[in-house]
This record gives sequence, C-alpha cells and structure tokens, in this order.
Amino acid sequence: MFPREANAIDFWRGFALITIFINHVPGIYYARFTHANYSLSDSADLFVFLAGWSLRLLVGSPRPTPRATRYLVLRLGGRAVELYAAQIMLTMLALAILAASATLLDNPLLLEWHNASSVFYDPILTHIGLATLTHQLGYFDILPLYVVLMMMAPIFAVVDRFAPNWLLPLSIALYLVTLIVPLPIPTWPVDGQWFFNPLAWQLVFVLGFVLAREDGAGGFVRRHIDAIRWLSLPIVAVSAYIVWNRLWPDPTLMPQPRLLFIADKTYVTPMRLIQFLALIALFSATYPIIKRWASWLVDFCARLGRNSLIVFCVGSLLSLIGQITRFVYRGDIVVDTVVVLLGVAIMALSAWLPEWREQVRSRGSTRPLPAS
Amino acid sequence: MARTGQIKRLHAAAAGILTASLVAGVAWSEETAPSAVAVPAPYSTECLGGSTEIVAESPLPNVAAALQRRRTIRILALGASAGRRQGGFTHRIERILKQVLKGSNIVTINRGVSGELAANAALRIKNEVAMNNPDLVIWQVGTDDALAFVPLEELAGTVRSTITWLRDHNVDVVLAGLQYVERVAQDENYYRVRELLREIAAKEHVMIIRRYEAMQFIAAAQEAGGGYGPDEFERTGAGYNCLAQYLASAITLGAFGKGMSGRPLLRSQPDQKK
Repeated sequence: MFPREANAIDFWRGFALITIFINHVPGIYYARFTHANYSLSDSADLFVFLAGWSLRLLVGSPRPTPRATRYLVLRLGGRAVELYAAQIMLTMLALAILAASATLLDNPLLLEWHNASSVFYDPILTHIGLATLTHQLGYFDILPLYVVLMMMAPIFAVVDRFAPNWLLPLSIALYLVTLIVPLPIPTWPVDGQWFFNPLAWQLVFVLGFVLAREDGAGGFVRRHIDAIRWLSLPIVAVSAYIVWNRLWPDPTLMPQPRLLFIADKTYVTPMRLIQFLALIALFSATYPIIKRWASWLVDFCARLGRNSLIVFCVGSLLSLIGQITRFVYRGDIVVDTVVVLLGVAIMALSAWLPEWREQVRSRGSTRPLPAS
Repeated sequence: MARTGQIKRLHAAAAGILTASLVAGVAWSEETAPSAVAVPAPYSTECLGGSTEIVAESPLPNVAAALQRRRTIRILALGASAGRRQGGFTHRIERILKQVLKGSNIVTINRGVSGELAANAALRIKNEVAMNNPDLVIWQVGTDDALAFVPLEELAGTVRSTITWLRDHNVDVVLAGLQYVERVAQDENYYRVRELLREIAAKEHVMIIRRYEAMQFIAAAQEAGGGYGPDEFERTGAGYNCLAQYLASAITLGAFGKGMSGRPLLRSQPDQKK
C-alpha cells in the first residue's frame, strides 16, 4: 500500500500541525509568523475543521452507496478509542519529560508547568481526572477535544445518513445553546473549564464534515465559491487589522448573551467562526498556486497531514521539549531556529517512518517468504 | 527536589495575603468598617518565631463596595496554578473569607490556563470580566513570561494596560508575582521580571503578593533547621500555615494601624538579588 497522492486536505493539515507545534512553544521567535498573529482563528480551528472533513472521507456520502451504519458506528467508536489511547500515552510521556527535566535540572518549577502540579502533588484524584479527561495538561488539550468529537461522530454520521439536512441545524442549535446559557465543561479535580469546549467546537467539526459533501451545503459552497471569496476578503482583512493592532472591542460593552458577540477561543464564538470560514474560503484558493510553484512544500506538508495523529503526538512532545530547551539555553533566535528546524525534521521523520514501513511491507509481500 | 514543598506553601501564603487584603479593603471603605474583622488572628505556637513583610499593600475599594452593597465578593482567579486543588488559592480564600466575613457570600471563579503568557491572559481577562462580573481579579503573572524570555517592555505594557483596563471597569486586581526556586534565583532575566512587576505594582498602586520572597523565606527557614518534623509534607504544611498567618497579620495591621491610602510600598527583607 503506497501513500495517497498529496491533496489540499493533507497539505493544510500538515500546515496546521507545523503551526500548532510552533505556537505551542511560548515566546519562540517564529511564532510571530504564524497566522494566529493576524487572524481571530488559529491552527486549532483548522485542525478541527479538517478532522471533520476527514470524517467525511471515512463515512462517505449518504448516497449512492452508503456504508453499513453498524460498521460506521463501530469504526468511529474504534477511532475514538485510538485517539483516547494516544491522549493517555501523550500525557504520561509529557509528565515523564517534565519530571525528568525537573530532576536533571534540579528545578521543581518545571513540575508546576502545564497543569502538571496537580498530578505530582495530588496524584490520587488527578489520575482519575487524567483517565476521564477532566484533567488536561496545558498545550495538551486539543486531543481530548478530538476524542470527544470522535465519540460524538457516530451520532453525526447516523444523522447525516438518515436526515442529512438536519445535521447542520442541530449542530448550530447545540452551539447556540452552549453559548447562550452558557454551558462550560468543568475540569476536575482542579477547578476550571475545558479550554476547548466540545459542545461549541463540535460545530467546527460538523462544518468540516458537512462542507466536505459534494451536495447540500458543500455543493452550495462549491458552486458559489468565487462570490464567497469576495465576501471573505474584507472579513479577513478587517480582522487582521484588528488583531495586529489589538483593536478589540470592549467585551463589557457587548450585549447579552455576550458569548455571541465577543471573540473567545474556548467557545469558538461566532466572530471567530465567521472569520475562520472566511479565511479558509480565501486561502483554499492558494493551494493550486502553492502546488504549482512549491510542489516540494506540498509533498512535505501532505506527508505530515497523511499521518496526522502520530505527527500531532510527536509535535506535542517536541513543543514541550522545545520549551524546556529554550528555558535551559535562554531562548534566542539561534536556539529558536534549532528548535524549529529539528522539531519539524523529527515530525517529518515520524510521518515518513510509517509510510516507509508500508512500502517495505508491500514490496515484501510480492516476494516469496524465505524458508525457515 | 526538597524545594518542591515551597510551592505548596506559597499558595497558603497567598491565600493568607488575599484574605487579609480583602479584609483590609473592606476596612478601607469609609462606609464599611467592621472593626471586628480588623483584629488579626493570633499566631499559632509554631509560628511565633518569625515574621516578614512580603506584600505590597493597596486598597481594594471595589471589593469593599461589593461587600457593603450586596454582601458578596466575586473573585476571578487567573494564572498558571490558580485553581490547584490542594493548597490552591481559591479554595483557601473562599474558606478563610467565609470564616472572617461571616454572613458574606464568596464566589470564586477559576479560569487559570497553564503556561499562558501574559499577553494571551490579558485578552482572556477582559472576556472573563465581561462574562463573570468579578469584583477582584487575582492574576498570577510573570513566571511563564520569564521562563519564555518574553521581552520586558512587552510584558510591562501588557500588565500595565490590563491593570488600567480593570481599574476603568471597577475591578480590583491583585498580582501574584514570581515563584522562588533556588535554581533560577541567579537568573538575571528572572530577577528583572520580578523587579518589573514590583515597579508596576508600586506605580499603579495595586497589591502584589511577593511569592518569591515568601518562598525564599521558607527555604531559608528550612535550611536553618526550623524545628520542623522530618517529613517533608508535615514541614510543608507547617511553613504554609505560618507564612499565611504572618502575611495576614502584617496586612491587617498595616491597613488598620496606619491607613492604606497613599501608603508607600514596603520593601521586603530578602529583596536583594542573590
């Protein structure tokens, strides 16, 4: 089995993975070049949207030859378990990295990083929280969202199968209720709330799922993409101006319910969501150009995107290692350059390895096995 | 790794400071002067041996007004470990305040995001204020920025503008400064960030909890023997309680004994760069 050809979804997914890696190293020089500095939305929105889009590839369209519903539910449930296992492994490795660094550097401050203190100082309850995803390490909070979204995915798939026109309205309704009430998802045993509220972020996921369809809302967008891009241009430009110049409107002056009118990441509020949709409408036009003039870049990012789960996990750990490296070597531009170059190279290696393994297996399967 | 215990004690100290600060803030208000709460609690036996000044004082008029108006204080906590379960700020504050200000309702809202730089927290604070209408914001700031080597002028601009914004919106703010860890005590950047926060607090007349000195004080006491038990956790608990008592007492006395309006900031004992 050879990897599929580079495509726009894999390319943008790879792009999102690289920028998430960079943005998760606070203070790093190169973070100023990621689109989070010019946009209300950031790579998290892109990652979740493309996860929804990929769900469509897994589920298929409702017509003409839908996969068996039972198969779909089991398949998506299995994927949720796979993501959950990745989250648990990632968390344990991150804790080990923090503990090892704190020990080697004789610096207990590292045990306080990223919400890890509760694990070390209050381990009994916190381990329950880790297993139930109610306790998440800082910068390791996207995957728990993805786990919950994948747990919801069978419902999305079933509604899409039997009442496709109802999926988006139902998702929007849940989103609005979550913002209007509002409905925070609490963390435990540390008081707080999920940084990514799954009840709100499910709309980004569903939008990716719905817009990936050739018909329905996806078909509508495809038919009118030029007009949508013209509409998107001022939205993206104005939001870039606001973000760059920090001209945020005073949230206390916004009417109630305020979450509908402010820019907030936890609830991926409408302002942010609209800007994100405008951004992807606009920048999706650039893919053919990038592919034409920088095909190597497309191939590189697409490889990361094809292996997104493993690359995401490796990238998350590399971000943490990058933070510790910057701390030890007093992050300057040289250290930051090394962190980024090495990090991206290791992410690429982690993407290349499974594909290489598959190629070796494919070649091997055509030859007779040696006699034992 | 013996220093890890200091972190725990820090939170108790901070809780004590906050409690005393709130009490002081109430007293500062002319309308509200419940003299009963102005008397600091006596030290417990194990804490009789020392005291220190590790807090920069400032009134909390909006807290006082809220207490006067509706007998309720809404506290929004942001920062790296704002909501840690045991020894965390908010649980202790809530518990102590409910004891001190009997009949009052204390509402704490934890919105700490670990590893968050001040610039990102500043944006979030405004949203959280808009959604939760707090009377007081406790902002643990500086440690993550220091470790990430955020330029000082950038950090200063963020903290100053956020304090100004909060003041303009009738919200009191208490800064919780950097943590003390021996390993980073020599670090010049860490020192500068610590000094910067103090300067900002002094200039803006906002309360700052000098966590660094609090933890340094405990570390020194530990190294000197201190008479604590052999178990690190027992030792941690004892230091924790003492420090909270010292701070609560210092602030309460300072507020009620000398008055707080326009009072210059106190310089702490272990103020010199190591």
